[in-house]
Amino acid sequence: MIAVLGLVLGVVIGVVTRPVVPTGMEPYLPIAVVAALDAVFGGLRATLDGVFDDKVFVVSFLSNVVVAALIVFLGDKLGVGAQLSTGVVVVLGIRIFSNAAAIRRHVFGA
Amino acid sequence: MTEPTPGHPEPAPEPAEPPRPTGRAALRAALWPPRASRGQLVAAVLLFVLGLGLAIQVRAAGSEDTALRGARPEDLVRILSDLEDRSARLEDEKSTLEDQRTELENSSDQAEEARRQSEERERQLGVLAGTVAAEGPGITLRVDDPTGAVTADMLLDAVQELRAAGAEALQINGVRVVASTSFVDHNGGVHVDDERIRAPFVVDAIGRPQDLEPALNIPGGVVQSLENKQATVAVTRPETVTVDALRSAEQPDYAQSSS
Repeated sequence: MIAVLGLVLGVVIGVVTRPVVPTGMEPYLPIAVVAALDAVFGGLRATLDGVFDDKVFVVSFLSNVVVAALIVFLGDKLGVGAQLSTGVVVVLGIRIFSNAAAIRRHVFGA
Repeated sequence: MTEPTPGHPEPAPEPAEPPRPTGRAALRAALWPPRASRGQLVAAVLLFVLGLGLAIQVRAAGSEDTALRGARPEDLVRILSDLEDRSARLEDEKSTLEDQRTELENSSDQAEEARRQSEERERQLGVLAGTVAAEGPGITLRVDDPTGAVTADMLLDAVQELRAAGAEALQINGVRVVASTSFVDHNGGVHVDDERIRAPFVVDAIGRPQDLEPALNIPGGVVQSLENKQATVAVTRPETVTVDALRSAEQPDYAQSSS
């Protein structure tokens, strides 16, 4: 419950304060957000499986974000940033879908 | 499977697992009641960060002016070259349209000129056909005929003499003289275009007076032959002669313009 409150609070603060992202960070933010979403879905699935561990969650969350940003950064340096971004988004999207399917099976039994 | 090592007690049989909560129950348990456990707090902090990033990104993607700020150099180059192509295309289109405009202006000038010329021509033809009034220098021929000796052919002679001398518009006693005008003797009077005219006959002619007057006065000409019939003839040169008798324009029934 507190976790959900944290999410809501983050969205509200982001909308209200309109923070400015450093220009150098901007290309990595969308990828980082998608990676974090993947970690969150994974955590939710783990919760429903009864194997949720906060340490695992923190590590997976941070490493997802960092690795995703790193891949995009590397792609930018190699001149294939756009393609790598697409690849990362596709992979993370697939993972999110499979996690969502597991969650669905838990919640709806189907 | 490993054999249990001797000396070690058998592992106690695991306590019967409590029946796994169903997914929905687990979800409900996770949501309520709120527990300030470490896991929950950590998750809350990370989710807070996620929400923040989500909001920022949605805002950045939705606004137009910052769309270019996060773009990669190669994207920017592509956008720039697209814009250059587009501006070149628009430039081409602009010059084409300007050419077209110039052309149209020229053609409308030409149309105006053609209209002006055809109006001018209509006026000229109107004077000839007798459908418009005319005025200008010319002469007036007045024939007093006390004895009634003047006949249609004498008037026709006068008209033809004037025409030959370059008269451009003629009228006799208020009847316009045009190409189809007839002069007929009828019941002892003169009919011009089926209209009876009586003495004194007044012929208004527009033309060069220096040509018209001698043409009438030549020896054996119109004036002399009229005077031989005891008619009194007076030729005057007014400042302006007005020919304001009109004929209605008649559409020919059979003759069509061949041009």
